[in-house]
Amino acid sequence: MASEQDPTSRKDDDYRVNFFRPREGFMRQKVRYTWILLISWAFFTFGFQFLLVMVQNTPAGDSLITKTVIFGFPLHYWFSGQFLIVWFILLCVLFNVFVDHLTKLYRKRK
Amino acid sequence: MEGLKLAPALLLAGTLGLSLLVGMASRTRKGEYYLVSGRSTGRMGIGAAIASNWMSAASFLGIAGIFYLQGYMAFAYVVGWTGGYVLLLILMAAQIRRFGKYTAPEFVDARYDSPAARCVSAVITILITLIYCVAQYKGIALVFSWIFGLDYTSSLLFGTSVVICYLVLSGSLGASRNQQFQYGILILSFIVPLMVIAKELGYFWVFPQLGYGQALCDLASSPQGDSLAPWTSGTPYQWMALCFTLMVGTAGLPHVLSRFYTVPNLRDARWSVVWGIFFIGLLYWSAPVYAILAKISEGHSSMVPTPEAAHAMADIIVIKAGEWAGLPLWLIGIISVGAIIAAFSTVTGLLITGAGAFSYDIYYRLIHPDATEKQRMVVAKATTLVLATLVVALAANPPWLIAQITAVAFALAGNTLFPVFLLGIWWDRTNKYGAIAGMVTGLIITTSALLLGQSVPLIGTLLPATSSALIGAPLVILVMILVSLLTPPPPKEIRRFLAEEVHGP
Repeated sequence: MASEQDPTSRKDDDYRVNFFRPREGFMRQKVRYTWILLISWAFFTFGFQFLLVMVQNTPAGDSLITKTVIFGFPLHYWFSGQFLIVWFILLCVLFNVFVDHLTKLYRKRK
Repeated sequence: MEGLKLAPALLLAGTLGLSLLVGMASRTRKGEYYLVSGRSTGRMGIGAAIASNWMSAASFLGIAGIFYLQGYMAFAYVVGWTGGYVLLLILMAAQIRRFGKYTAPEFVDARYDSPAARCVSAVITILITLIYCVAQYKGIALVFSWIFGLDYTSSLLFGTSVVICYLVLSGSLGASRNQQFQYGILILSFIVPLMVIAKELGYFWVFPQLGYGQALCDLASSPQGDSLAPWTSGTPYQWMALCFTLMVGTAGLPHVLSRFYTVPNLRDARWSVVWGIFFIGLLYWSAPVYAILAKISEGHSSMVPTPEAAHAMADIIVIKAGEWAGLPLWLIGIISVGAIIAAFSTVTGLLITGAGAFSYDIYYRLIHPDATEKQRMVVAKATTLVLATLVVALAANPPWLIAQITAVAFALAGNTLFPVFLLGIWWDRTNKYGAIAGMVTGLIITTSALLLGQSVPLIGTLLPATSSALIGAPLVILVMILVSLLTPPPPKEIRRFLAEEVHGP
């Protein structure tokens, strides 16, 4: 695991900050978590709309999904209007758990 | 127009007076350090403050209005305005807090070390303020028109003078806004009448947010035959572009997290965002129910408004829903007062932000560096008045819905400030030339649909004014990267600060 490397081992004049090439240690771990969260954020938000388009039978978007009823709602209404907000709350909880964990890990090593 | 409605008018006066009193009580109890006393309110309290700061006429009136007219398309607003917080939290909030600069011009100045860039970002901040305010004013005018039975223009002028009086009065009394109290008022005035409406119409009323599925299905099978298909009022591209725009726009307005930056403990601040989204979600789960129940009432009385009439009343459909369901006047009055409170507090906050951007970032830092404190105060107050008047002129005849006007402000933020914050935090090589080029490109992209949308249909299709950031933001990021690579890197001191302080564990 990258977290086993010493975070202070980098060269003193390396001030690189790059989301795609993060420095080893704390930042690389944090960016890894951020990627996971970003992907789940985009996948659920936009992936579902793509799915609606892919399975649609009419230009207005009627499909098996829109005919399915879940908790009394047409599935697409339930997903976008209710579930996504719950999902966003969950993502924020996950992020906080990740960061709490990382901060604890790296503050101790210092 | 009908005449004055006494009960709502009295409620409005009473609530405004009460919130002034509570504001003064908060001040005397907590003294000047009100903002720093976050810990005692706890994470849930900070979350409520974040939510009350966020709620505006767009949330309170606008979303239900869009839902009434466009159905599924409105979820782009709901999802965009909640998902944006995720983006802000995981990508930027903690870093902005470590930076110690919470307004766009201050951040730009500290990160890019350039008065020119600071000036451009201040101008953009003022523009965003203006557009955002226009939407709020429209909401205020519509509700005032409903309460006092005046026409739109007189209500606009009347509402504006009440806003200004309120602003001056709370300023001179030193009333700090008690945001937890305000959130409580807002959410109760939104949800309690909704429960009553659901009960009147015979739907599950304990949690109308969970029970309106039945109403949706009734609507689909009614003789009106409203389609529930997702793309009836907009293409999938429009949905996703709008949703993305609102998300990056939210992240480009970092002040929406206000209290996040002033709470002493970063960990509390992070966790409070979870509460914040939940509290905002409570409103967004409920807003569509108003629109659906209004449609159900329409079906019962078999009065189907013409498209023009529907468009005209969409923005006060939350009030109409109450009227049509036969609620007592005072209960509908509660909804209207909630809307006014939401719009008022947003306008107050926005005008202060806009005036600050001019009096501090442009006047003091650029035009007149040795201005005294007193001179700056005078300029700030004058700017507030000028902005308030300018907004009245712009809001005189807005053809768009509240949520749509607000979306333009978010498109502007997403095309300009979001890339500047994002790259400023996540790429040390970004420099002032890149930032300026990026912000100017973003301004051009945002305005292109407004100016050229009619004559060049392709621009209108790809970059709608409300949703230009799906293409705009990545384009601006690209411009920033290219320009930054072609020009010298930023000073080492800034990069060291970024790497060690801002991104440290």
